[in-house]
Amino acid sequence: MNELDGLIDQKSGAQRRLIYSDQAIYAQEMEHIFGRCWLFLAHESQIPNPGDFFRTYMGEDDVLVIRQEDRTIKAFLNSCTHRGNRLVRADRGNARAFACNYHGWAFGIDGSLATVPLEREVYFNEIDKDQFRLVPVDNVASYRGLIFGCFDKDAPSLEDYLGDMRWYLDSALDAMPEGTELIGATQKVVLNTNWKLPVENVCGDGYHLGWSHAGAMKATQSGDLSGFTVGNTGVDLEGGMSVAGLNGNSVLASLDGVSGYAFYPEPALALKYLTENRAKVVARLGKFRGEKLWGSQLNLTIFPSLQFLPGLNWFRVYHPKGPGQIEMWTWAIVEKAMPDELKQQILDNVLLTFGPAGLFDNDDGDNLASCTSQSRGWRTRQMPVYTNMALGRSGQRAGLPGDIASGIVSEHNQRYFYRRWQEHMQAKDWSEVPQYNLHPLEAKDEQRTVQTA
Amino acid sequence: MNSALSKPLEVPVMLAVDKHLAIQQQLFYEARLLDDERFNEWLELLEDDVRYRMPVTERRFRKDRSAPLAFGTGYIFDDTKARLGMRVGRLQSGLVWAEDPRNNVRRIISNVEIWQGAEANEAEVYSIVTIHRSRIDGEEKRFVAGRRDVWRETTQGWRLALRELKLDNAVVLDSNMNTFF
Ligand code: FES
Ligand SMILES: [Fe+2]
Repeated sequence: MNELDGLIDQKSGAQRRLIYSDQAIYAQEMEHIFGRCWLFLAHESQIPNPGDFFRTYMGEDDVLVIRQEDRTIKAFLNSCTHRGNRLVRADRGNARAFACNYHGWAFGIDGSLATVPLEREVYFNEIDKDQFRLVPVDNVASYRGLIFGCFDKDAPSLEDYLGDMRWYLDSALDAMPEGTELIGATQKVVLNTNWKLPVENVCGDGYHLGWSHAGAMKATQSGDLSGFTVGNTGVDLEGGMSVAGLNGNSVLASLDGVSGYAFYPEPALALKYLTENRAKVVARLGKFRGEKLWGSQLNLTIFPSLQFLPGLNWFRVYHPKGPGQIEMWTWAIVEKAMPDELKQQILDNVLLTFGPAGLFDNDDGDNLASCTSQSRGWRTRQMPVYTNMALGRSGQRAGLPGDIASGIVSEHNQRYFYRRWQEHMQAKDWSEVPQYNLHPLEAKDEQRTVQTA
Repeated sequence: MNSALSKPLEVPVMLAVDKHLAIQQQLFYEARLLDDERFNEWLELLEDDVRYRMPVTERRFRKDRSAPLAFGTGYIFDDTKARLGMRVGRLQSGLVWAEDPRNNVRRIISNVEIWQGAEANEAEVYSIVTIHRSRIDGEEKRFVAGRRDVWRETTQGWRLALRELKLDNAVVLDSNMNTFF
């Protein structure tokens, strides 16, 4: 696909703006990225019991995730196989079967077509019900409680897709043996932005924090703990790292072990929990992850559209709705071992800072929307935009997987995100998608290997 | 404990007409203060123990059999007076770029019902707020929410002790909620 060659320039860190507005590029993203990659569906904690279901999207495909009688998890297109009506219109719940609103076909939670009204009278018992099962999502797999689905039979396994990103993920998902859960209902917001812009904002853009969120930082007086001051001056530029080169996945990390809670107006309870459990986590994950990552502000990105920030404790997925719109879904993520009082406070704080009325989130929406609208004009869309900060200043760090740049203010992760985007867009299928897991973990390193669940 | 958090009255009792009118005026006055961004004056209309909150809206089947969420749905905001002060402080910091130029806001308060509250000096007030916000160029955004208020009569007049909001959309239809309901 040579016409895609000029859209991303790794050498100068440039992207052509039409990737945020062009309808044909968007259509190709649906096929090459959302049709091919592992996409987050739900957390196991959201559907604990047989019959529990959760309605979500894979790209623009409406998908139903259901806990089965044998406690395994299946996912189906949420579309009736008769005339295509949307089958379930609730966000979540528990059911024994799902009856379609249109003509009343009813499906079991295993996707089987259970009953057809007037089957004898109008179909003369000739309908092969097996042929009309709900269409399953071919690959469904979990990693430490996170359920992913993938439409592409040729995709690598979820473990390989994540690569050594698992080592970083585990610093949040596996710090405590009980694991994590998502709490609260889904907070949904429509944003008039291309889906890539919020992903790049969270995957690597530490640059905007001190400026975009100056008002919120001033109001919450959160500058001290986070190491930021209002207006982007006085940032501790070395106090963190940007990790990419793990396929499309990335990490932004401060390395102080507490700053995830910097934006909390009342961090005392969380800090107490960290202090009380630090030794346990160090024993489990080793010194670096236990002391430097656990409790720090971490921005974890699973390509293409899942991001979560342990510490700040929000967990988010973006569903594209055309090139210029998304639905942004957010939950609070907590460690199951946390006391109830802390969990409740985290849910409350996530909403205060990053929910629909979040003091911080409410600064980002208009910027993302404007970057999108400024990629539509005939002349403007031909222009590049840049992620060229600290180009070429990354490398290996002893003992850590990935290609790493210093500090959380660099555009290193965004460049890898767009590189991955381009690789997928240009590849005919998975066989042409390069796999890279730079500076991988080695088995001999104690506590450094990814433990299998 | 804020007594206003107790359950709504089952048998509604009307207030004396002068009190009724005073509270109704207060609702419209409050809306005008907010439309005019006179946030400090608005904060003065709030009792020190005020609760101001809006739960996350979900779409569920009427006969859903699933257990309630262990920590509830969560609140889009669940604010005390101190937190509202924090939100006002953010808006007044001069650093909230999305509000400069100003987005003009008009609140329409309708379907107002005013009843005797649980305490002798309290009124229970139901209304609907429609917030129109003019954004860049011709863009207009709208929020519609039901409100259940408790207003308390004090030596300074009627003060808000509770506002429980219900947002009708399960998906928030604007890029921010830099506004008060
Ligand atoms: S479309 Fe579902 S039963 Fe006909
Ligand atoms: Fe931001």
